[in-house]
Amino acid sequence: MAHPAVRLTAVTKSFGTAPAVRNLDLDIAQGEFFALLGPSGCGKTTTLRMLGGFTTPTSGSIHLDGVDVTNHPPNRRDVNTVFQSYALFDHLTIWDNIAFGLKRRGRPTAEIRERVGEMLDLVQLGDMATRRPRTLSGGQRQRVALARALVNRPKVLLLDEPLAALDLKLRRQMQVELKQIQREVGITFVFVTHDQDEALTMADRVAVMNGGVVEQCGAPEDVYERPASRFVASFMGTSNLMTGVYSGGTVTLDGDVRLPVAQRTDCADGSTVSLSVRPEKIWLSDFEPGMVRVTGVIRETVYSGPTTTYLIDLAPGLRVAALEQNTARARREDRWEGGEEVELGWRPQDCLVLA
Amino acid sequence: MSNVRRPRFAIGTTMAFFALLYAPIVVVVLFSFNGQKSLSVFKGVSLRWYEAFLNDQELLQSLGMSLRVSLVAMVGSIVLGVALALGLVRTKGALGTFAGLVMLVPLVTPEIVTGVASMMLFKGFGIPLSTGTVMIAEVTFSISYVTVILRSRVAALNPELEEAAMDLGATRWQALRLVTLPALLPAILASAVLIFALVFDDFVLAYFTTGVTPQPLSVRIYSAIRFGVQPTINAVGTLMLLGSIALIALALAIPRFFGRRGGLSILSGE
Repeated sequence: MAHPAVRLTAVTKSFGTAPAVRNLDLDIAQGEFFALLGPSGCGKTTTLRMLGGFTTPTSGSIHLDGVDVTNHPPNRRDVNTVFQSYALFDHLTIWDNIAFGLKRRGRPTAEIRERVGEMLDLVQLGDMATRRPRTLSGGQRQRVALARALVNRPKVLLLDEPLAALDLKLRRQMQVELKQIQREVGITFVFVTHDQDEALTMADRVAVMNGGVVEQCGAPEDVYERPASRFVASFMGTSNLMTGVYSGGTVTLDGDVRLPVAQRTDCADGSTVSLSVRPEKIWLSDFEPGMVRVTGVIRETVYSGPTTTYLIDLAPGLRVAALEQNTARARREDRWEGGEEVELGWRPQDCLVLA
Repeated sequence: MSNVRRPRFAIGTTMAFFALLYAPIVVVVLFSFNGQKSLSVFKGVSLRWYEAFLNDQELLQSLGMSLRVSLVAMVGSIVLGVALALGLVRTKGALGTFAGLVMLVPLVTPEIVTGVASMMLFKGFGIPLSTGTVMIAEVTFSISYVTVILRSRVAALNPELEEAAMDLGATRWQALRLVTLPALLPAILASAVLIFALVFDDFVLAYFTTGVTPQPLSVRIYSAIRFGVQPTINAVGTLMLLGSIALIALALAIPRFFGRRGGLSILSGE
């Protein structure tokens, strides 16, 4: 298995004059659970549709398992798709929906019966075989769509916002289930989502897309902890983004707040940079030696169950959010109130300089 | 609802409406069972006019022709109309818009104009008027109805359905045959019934495009009336009424049978 499951080489797709995907290079390894993440219009769905064969790239090439499929129609590619709407065939039973692909490929009846049965068991819908899609719940239909695609044992399974139509609780449950199923069948999964939580939870690797290009591609932890750009930092979770002027290891923010940062050789003195500190990386007490320390005034206390968020002004107009866990040890009386002056601290490596 | 006061005049208007609407029909049905030849005096119940109809070779021949024409018009306009609806929905840009407008012209053209135009066209090409020319004219006329009904259904179809079929290995043609057409089936069947009823009842177009013998039933009845109304016509009318009611019932039942919307919502008012 020398070939990557998916290889995009310099792929561009333009609709009219506007490029939806620009000069995209991407390798996805065999058996990987890969997420294309980004806001709507970032090119993630177009990329997925090009993999499925529903859209042809304007230029560049697509290889699946080493075979150039750039101009192959969907029915001649060894990939299957779980559509956002599920696109189940309402005039067929669940069983016939799942058997559709195997029948098109002319598999023997005995084999079809066996493989459809296996799939129904895998997605736990054995007793629904004779029902119609319309009579199933959202979660069940999602499973049928998954089974209908997986039964063909494709080289790559494409999932277009697979969980978007489900309510929050079911979505959480399906995230875990999808991950388990992927591990069980060992097929490469490529899924598109705008939900960073979903991407972080399920994917082995995440490509964050914006404006038709991949801004950053890496393991969920890399992308979240070490965002490579201002866009990634703001799109992945919440981040305190502050603009200031870099000068030899110090960034000067509005209100003459000076923050020591890691040395950057690629930043000229006097250049404008963005600083990013995650709210949960900010400490409000029990500081460690070597931390960056600043003072501020509590403006707002937002209690939201397991966590409390403080909005703190470091200077007039310079506000940051700090997140504290409401653990068993944290007591109600210890929470800060509005107007109180506090000291903030973070480890130097938790404050990122983004050019 | 039972607490809402119903104004008396509304009830009166409604009853007057139905009386006006159905009085002529009731007369026809009633007099088809008349024991006498009179069209104004009812005396004794009998089935003699039904018997007379069944012995009237010319009327039976006309009935046969009308059924054949309706069947051909139904099948022909469904095949062409469904194809046109699919094409119109999927053809973007000026061409699609233009074709969509042209398609609507037969619907708004007075039928007598269509009738005269069809006749002149056939004459101009030296085609003798016959059962065949009626069939061609009725198919042409019916396509617009099928297309109008089907177009909204096609537009409402999830485009991912065909993509899913192709994703699972179906060719374009298989995707159409195995997924798209079954999804449209309720609407197709319902419009087929409608076209059958419309063409069977049609007089104007049939009148201008038919040959001398045989004539479609509607034209035959019209010719007969010119020589004095025979009570046989009442029997024929009653049978046609029964047939039409059966067809409408069928058209309404089709979507219910499929357990979903998509039939003739125009008829059922849903």
